[in-house]
Amino acid sequence: MRSIKNILTIYDPIILLIVIFLIFWSILNVYSATFHEYSNLYIKQAVFGVIGLTVMLLLPFIDYRKVLNLSPYLYLIGIILLLGVMLFGKTILGAKRWINLGFFMLQPSELMKFIMILITAHLLDDKKSISLKDISIVLIITAIPLILILKQPDLGTSIMVLLPVLVILFTAGLPKRYIFGAIGLFISLAPFIWQHMKEYQKKRILAFLNPEADPFGSAYHILQSKIAVGSGQLTGKGFLEGTQSKLFFLPEQHTDFIFATIGEEWGFLMSALIVLLYLILGIRIVLWGLKIKHIAGKYVCFGSAGLITLQAFINISMTVGFAPVVGITLPLISYGGTSLITFCLIIGLVLSVIAEYKREKIHF
Amino acid sequence: MNSRGYFLIFVFTVFSLILLGRLIHLQIIKGEYYYEKSEKNHLRVVVLNAPRGNIYDRNGILLAYDKPSYNLYTFPYITKKRLKILERNLKRILNIELSKDIKEKIKKGNSLKVVIKKNLTDKQIEKFFRYSYLFTGIYLEVQPRRIYTEYARYMPHLIGYVGYPSEKELKENPKLRPDTLIGKSGVEKIFDRYLRGKYGTKGMVVDALGRIKEIKWENLPKRGNDIYLTVDARIQKIVYEAFKNTGEKSGAVIVFNPDGYEILALLSYPIYDIQKFSDGLTKEEWKEIIKNPYKPLLNKALKGIYPPGSIFKIVVGLGALNEGVITPNTRIYSGGKFKLGNFVFRNWNLGGCGRVNVMEALETSCDTFFYQISLNLGVRNITKYTKLFGIGEKLNPEIEKRVAIVPTPEWKRKRFGKPWYPGDTIVYSIGQGYLSITPFDGAKIIAPIANGGKIYRPKLLKAVHNRDTGEYKETEKVLIRKLPVKQEYIKTIKRGIYLVVYGNRGTAKLLSLSPVKVAGKTGTAQVIRKKDPKQRVKKWKYQNHAWYVSLFPYDKPRFAMSVFVEHGIGGSKTAVPITKYIIDELYRKGIINEKY
Repeated sequence: MRSIKNILTIYDPIILLIVIFLIFWSILNVYSATFHEYSNLYIKQAVFGVIGLTVMLLLPFIDYRKVLNLSPYLYLIGIILLLGVMLFGKTILGAKRWINLGFFMLQPSELMKFIMILITAHLLDDKKSISLKDISIVLIITAIPLILILKQPDLGTSIMVLLPVLVILFTAGLPKRYIFGAIGLFISLAPFIWQHMKEYQKKRILAFLNPEADPFGSAYHILQSKIAVGSGQLTGKGFLEGTQSKLFFLPEQHTDFIFATIGEEWGFLMSALIVLLYLILGIRIVLWGLKIKHIAGKYVCFGSAGLITLQAFINISMTVGFAPVVGITLPLISYGGTSLITFCLIIGLVLSVIAEYKREKIHF
Repeated sequence: MNSRGYFLIFVFTVFSLILLGRLIHLQIIKGEYYYEKSEKNHLRVVVLNAPRGNIYDRNGILLAYDKPSYNLYTFPYITKKRLKILERNLKRILNIELSKDIKEKIKKGNSLKVVIKKNLTDKQIEKFFRYSYLFTGIYLEVQPRRIYTEYARYMPHLIGYVGYPSEKELKENPKLRPDTLIGKSGVEKIFDRYLRGKYGTKGMVVDALGRIKEIKWENLPKRGNDIYLTVDARIQKIVYEAFKNTGEKSGAVIVFNPDGYEILALLSYPIYDIQKFSDGLTKEEWKEIIKNPYKPLLNKALKGIYPPGSIFKIVVGLGALNEGVITPNTRIYSGGKFKLGNFVFRNWNLGGCGRVNVMEALETSCDTFFYQISLNLGVRNITKYTKLFGIGEKLNPEIEKRVAIVPTPEWKRKRFGKPWYPGDTIVYSIGQGYLSITPFDGAKIIAPIANGGKIYRPKLLKAVHNRDTGEYKETEKVLIRKLPVKQEYIKTIKRGIYLVVYGNRGTAKLLSLSPVKVAGKTGTAQVIRKKDPKQRVKKWKYQNHAWYVSLFPYDKPRFAMSVFVEHGIGGSKTAVPITKYIIDELYRKGIINEKY
């Protein structure tokens, strides 16, 4: 008995409970969003949920530093997989993002998020302050997968691969002049970027900026998604009772727009709770990061928290009409095996950092 | 470093507060508004298909037009749960039975439109409106339906058909809508750019049950242009009847106006019911067509390739004259057999032809004459002249579907890995061996003999007429090249094929009974090698192909025609009688002497 209790103490209960709740919530809502169109997506999601949870619970038994040391190899594997997508990838809805493994459609770009957290933390380990050289190395290392993912094309995921890297650089004490410099550069380059965007991307941004201009084209999704969320009112229409999210002709109602289903069927109470859960999850992980002494461990925490919470918030912003539509999933809830398992890996790694900290504390 | 961590917490918190604020705004403050919107208001954008332009023949005979047809359709998410009741009502009131297929589609589908029944009768439409309350979730739409007139039914392959775009076509052309009718084959496809109009759209606000609450906008569609084909529907009908009345099973006929290569008729036989095909065949009807051994769906005129047999002697003869291998008067002894080393090449008539010149050789279709000149002319020259006629290329890529196989030594090496033997040249010279052409190419062989050596771009479109602006635009004839041969030689060949009809030993003497002066060349192409040329084969598919290419009236040819009878046994036996039927009918109806 004691040993089981001992084992359980290495986990952070709050993180664990939130993750389990979100995965359960995912299965429920994937079912609701798809039962009328597909028969078994929720079962697949449940299977991935179990696999993901198992991986997450097992990771804390491995010293995360060993995993960090493996990160260059993992990075290479990730790049090879991305190249594999380019060569043998499966095209769905005009984008080449998946490798068909027969039983499973692997999306290596999702996995890359995990790998980028690892390698960035690994590269910046033991650095009290970061130099221009460190920053350059990290950015070059990031640029390679970023370009490969942009080519697929998948703007959403490439932003989300970059995001944790930026968060880590930021928390590593990136000098303010670089931050402002980067922002200035971005603004001055914006017209150039605009010119090089794909037609559909421009349309989405225009639709976001001015939805009334073209309510039946690109802005249609945003409008319909807003109606779905809004129509949920305080308590929602009830499980499986949403009409809007099922009728609104969105191909992504179970992936990118799953929050619309939640908003419509469960109302404000549940939607707000979901937002709060992501907030608590993020804060909790950051707080652990503040406590931990080992620098790479800190970065793992900060990067992971930044990725999970910000990705969730950006996805929700999209659904409520606050951000242009880019393909970004709601972490742990959106349908998709690779995405779910990637986030389980990331949280598993965070739990491993925490467990290591707890173990050391006991020993001392 | 830790201060940056706290800043991260600050960012999270602010971001979450913004989102919570937004949720309060959407769900609490404006919740009722959005709720009502979701309950009542779905915007539905309907595409209003533009009517396609009409298709006329050269004389303005109507071949195809659009007529509104009324279809019933539904959206599965609305009717899924009430399918049983609806099924009963449909049966009882409109006498419409839902097929298994459609029921399955409704049960499994969601937001994609499912068409329940096409082409409703007036009575059904009236009842549908009278009892509309019994058909909640079922809608009536107007879709243009393509109607083909009686004349069009003799040219299904030429006219083609319309249908909804495939996924591939949608991808290639982003302007297409899934429910726009587009040309799928034949003229409907070739001239789709003229015929297809511009669709309009209608935006409607509908409630959760799909009832129309308000029409937001309506952009009317723009109809497509009318087109006039070069085809003469009367000639096409005669050509069809020629096949039907002579009882031949399968083949093709192409009639050109040699001046400009206007296609006056293009038949692939047997034909299929173009109207049924366009409206959609039942599974049984489809099976029947597929099972038909004479392949009604294949456009043999443009897509079938067959050895041309002796009609090819026109090309070889002209080439030999022009290259100086022979003169019009060169006489060569041509016996019943020709020996080359150990190989023996037979004449079709083992009695031989005697000492003949090229005209007489054409008259009797003397194989051994051509065997001998072919060795001096050479494979390269034969191929050169064949290509000059436009065989082995698409003179009009819009119309022509398949390119003839015109062999060269390089081609043979690449294809079979073997060198070119002199024996190959010998069989090539009588249109056998590797050479394969379409019946359409047959017309390309005879037309330059009729017009004095001019090669035109085959023309199918006479004019385009925009009904809204009244603009009427005729298409010009396009001269591609002139055969680089002396007029004298063309006349020699023409004289030779005149003898085919009027000479004592001609192979198409039947035609001399015709009231119109005609010249032409027979062709009998072997399908399988036979030890004894007189050996008879019973099975249809092993019988020889029959050809007859002709020009008439002889003195001032206004028609160049290629008749091909698949497995028709012999040119004289089947292709010539069909030619005679056509020419006699053209004469009887006075079309022969009409002005274009």
